[in-house]
Amino acid sequence: MTRTSAPGVRVKDLTVVYKTPAGELPALGGVSLSLAPGTITGIVGESGSGKSTLALSLLNAVQPPGRIKEGSVEIDGLGNVVELTGEELRRARGRQVGYVFQAAQNSLNPLKTVGKQLLDLGRSHDFDDLPALLKDARALLGRMGLDGGRVLDSYQHELSGGMRQRVGIMFALVLNAHLVVLDEPTTALDMITQAAILKIVRDVHHERGLTTLIITHDMGVAAEVTDSLAVMYGGRVVEHGPTTEVLGSPRHPYTKGLIRAIPRLSGDIDEARALPGRPPTLGTIPKQGCVFRERCPLRIAVCDTVDPEPVTRDARTVACHAVGHLATPVVPKEYV
Amino acid sequence: MTVTSPVAPAPISLRRNFWRGVGRVLRRKPSRMVGVAIVVLFVFMGIFGPLLYPNPLPRDDNALYASPSWAHPFGTDFEGTDVLALVVTGTRYVLLAGLATAVITVALGTAIGLLAGFHRGRWDTVLMRLTDLQLTIPGLPLLLVLSTVWKFTSPIEMGVVLGLLGWGGIARAVRSQSLSLRERGFIEAAKGLGLPTRHIVVRELLPSMAPYIAMNMLIAVTGAIYAQVGLFFLGVLPFDANNWGVMLNLSVFGGGALSSTAALPYLLAPLLAILLLTLGIVLVVDAMDEIFNPRLREE
Amino acid sequence: MITASGITKTYKQRGNMLGARAVPALRGVDFRIEKGGAVTFIGESGCGKTTLGRIVAGLETYDGGDIVIDGTPMSSLKPRHREPFFRRIQLIHQDPYSALNPTRTIHQTLAAPLALRAKQTGRGKAWMEERARELLALVGIDPGYVLPRYPHQLSGGMRQRVVIARALTVDPEVLVADESVSMIDVSLRLGVLALLKDLRERLNVSVLFITHDIATARYIGGDGELYVIYRGQVVESGPTERVISGPVHPYTQSLLSAIPVLHGVERPGPERVVPTEALNEAHPDTGCLFARRCPFRTDRCEAELPSLVSDGEQAHACYHPQRRNVIPVEAA
Repeated sequence: MTRTSAPGVRVKDLTVVYKTPAGELPALGGVSLSLAPGTITGIVGESGSGKSTLALSLLNAVQPPGRIKEGSVEIDGLGNVVELTGEELRRARGRQVGYVFQAAQNSLNPLKTVGKQLLDLGRSHDFDDLPALLKDARALLGRMGLDGGRVLDSYQHELSGGMRQRVGIMFALVLNAHLVVLDEPTTALDMITQAAILKIVRDVHHERGLTTLIITHDMGVAAEVTDSLAVMYGGRVVEHGPTTEVLGSPRHPYTKGLIRAIPRLSGDIDEARALPGRPPTLGTIPKQGCVFRERCPLRIAVCDTVDPEPVTRDARTVACHAVGHLATPVVPKEYV
Repeated sequence: MTVTSPVAPAPISLRRNFWRGVGRVLRRKPSRMVGVAIVVLFVFMGIFGPLLYPNPLPRDDNALYASPSWAHPFGTDFEGTDVLALVVTGTRYVLLAGLATAVITVALGTAIGLLAGFHRGRWDTVLMRLTDLQLTIPGLPLLLVLSTVWKFTSPIEMGVVLGLLGWGGIARAVRSQSLSLRERGFIEAAKGLGLPTRHIVVRELLPSMAPYIAMNMLIAVTGAIYAQVGLFFLGVLPFDANNWGVMLNLSVFGGGALSSTAALPYLLAPLLAILLLTLGIVLVVDAMDEIFNPRLREE
Repeated sequence: MITASGITKTYKQRGNMLGARAVPALRGVDFRIEKGGAVTFIGESGCGKTTLGRIVAGLETYDGGDIVIDGTPMSSLKPRHREPFFRRIQLIHQDPYSALNPTRTIHQTLAAPLALRAKQTGRGKAWMEERARELLALVGIDPGYVLPRYPHQLSGGMRQRVVIARALTVDPEVLVADESVSMIDVSLRLGVLALLKDLRERLNVSVLFITHDIATARYIGGDGELYVIYRGQVVESGPTERVISGPVHPYTQSLLSAIPVLHGVERPGPERVVPTEALNEAHPDTGCLFARRCPFRTDRCEAELPSLVSDGEQAHACYHPQRRNVIPVEAA
């Protein structure tokens, strides 16, 4: 049941908890998020926002002591990933969902050449036509500006950071997955290399007709490549909408604060303002009320007790009591 | 985030926190408590054991190689002496020698390793060649030769010799640790602030290596126990001292414990003591990392 | 004031049997740090900017050239006598997680250098306690909360502030900040940057800022000097705002072009320069070091090394200098 077109993804009320000595703590507190087929979605958040946990949930790959407590992740052509187990899950990873891990630069096996690792991957997914797989890989690497044949014959240490990152992307795509998750694709890369990688991500996305999810802490990276942007804080998606709109006219006070806290090359640099307070960790996420209220300039009484519901209007979703009255609740639009 | 914590971080409160933390770490796993109990038991036997029995130990000529009974839980030996009493009174020598060995290996090994790793250059070269030299000394043959002229009646003498033969490994390990630690930001910062070398080595480097050193020390104790018991067992050393190794030797070569059952308890009692003590130490070693790391101590 | 002239540094890379390969990290770098001023070095990783910071902070030696601190050339002193000079230049490490000793409380961390200071100035314990609190308050954290704690109990931002407070215990004249916010959460970064900026004004300390993020350089040292360094050589320098808005060296233009555009808030600049190849240390040393990657290169670039030419304010090392508008424009 290999699909050849971009799948849509619908995450509903996803709650992921981590078991700690202090009990089960929620890393994701009821997250709902839709990825429209064929788009690049960015998830921006700081450490502890739950963005990486959300990415892992798309593969049902949350590792103990974490577990998916409730909610569903529907991927077109795969069904509810949360209910997949064992062999089905293993086959889905790679075939349908490609994943480029955080620090993909360091996730290659140092003892095997890239080509050997590729063949291992093909065999583990029961690929009959291994030469075709190699040919695809060479073509993909060539597309990304590398000498495919040489790279496949290389060991990890023979490749630069930017080259390894491209190899990581190749691995995610070579089994013909149409949903690709990139976790911090450009951390630890230089500006010029970062720009090159982001361009490749965008080009390959369009050429192969993918649905792409990019997890990053860097607003600039998200702004550069994504169509739609979700901002996460304390295990919640606090704002989601088309990238230019979210950046141009942010609604949630956290998004606003975050954008203002980024020094830019254009405009008056002295307008940059720091966000007070610090992001919550797993143990300090408030049990009730809004997760952002400690740092919020718009805090009102209700924020202390009630967790704001995400409200969608004009394709933009915001979870905030203070700005919620601007929007009238409507049924969230679903991508079919 | 609570900002209600008490201020005034006096050194005393820090110390108290440390011991409270140690208690917490030990309670975290029942196995650690068992380990502590075993070690405490042996230390108790080492200190008070000889006081519990008359010296010399009574002999019962009517009960040579007696089977275990209420009067003699582990039977008696070839002279009719209670085996349990032999084990208990023999603890002191074993423990003292083990401790002396550990103190010497750790003190020498740490000092040399730190000096070599921190200063590098010429110091490093000289000290490491010295370490290589130590490591190439064949311990057993040397001990065999030494024992012809030296009787090792005092456990401290025994410990000193074993210690001088065993510090090389720790020196190498500590050196490689300090080589990697000296590149850390906080060591560089301390140098940049002009803090004296003594402060950097003692206050900054050493505490970071404490779990490592403590583990090595405990393992050195077990190693030393095996070594000395082994020497006595082989009969290399004279039978003057009351020692577990001597017991093993006499049970096997004198009592024929390997071929007859009569001397079996006599063989098993010291073996059991060694195994139990080693087990106790190994169970405690498990806690060292958490004891000396403030993060793991408190969580 | 600190003047560095012609600083060179070569690392010997352990080679094969045929001998060690020499890797030049710095190829003759000149710069000045004024009292209370801000100097920024930008460049890709491996360009030598970190080495430069460590040399200025006295943590590494240099092979050629000289550093003159308040009129005293360091080459004229024995290493032992250089120490007091370099102590006035404190390095703020990139990684606030390894810069603090995990086995020592913040109180202990600050007490050690303060004790040294107290001994020098003949002051007592009470002064030390008071000074520790004063410094923590200065860097914007609550002394009562932080002092009895271990580093792991603090956030990245707080740790970096403690690191800065520790550097301030010796009353430095220069802070060398090497990528000091890259490992801190995004919402906390600007706070630390603002602190460094604030310290410049309040304590009149100079800041040597080393980064690959030009926008942060603009925030801290917008009024200072910017040096663009490439493979151990300064290729462009000048007043920060001027270089950013009117870069003439193709490498500076490539760096600025690569900065992501915050679509929605800003628009891409009218021009864009993209290197033709990736950075490769094996590229030849003859001629302009950037030539192989430069879209505007000519035969002359590959044959002769251009030297730094100054118009009085802005300097560049390029045979074909041309201003290009590559930085994003604020959206209306």
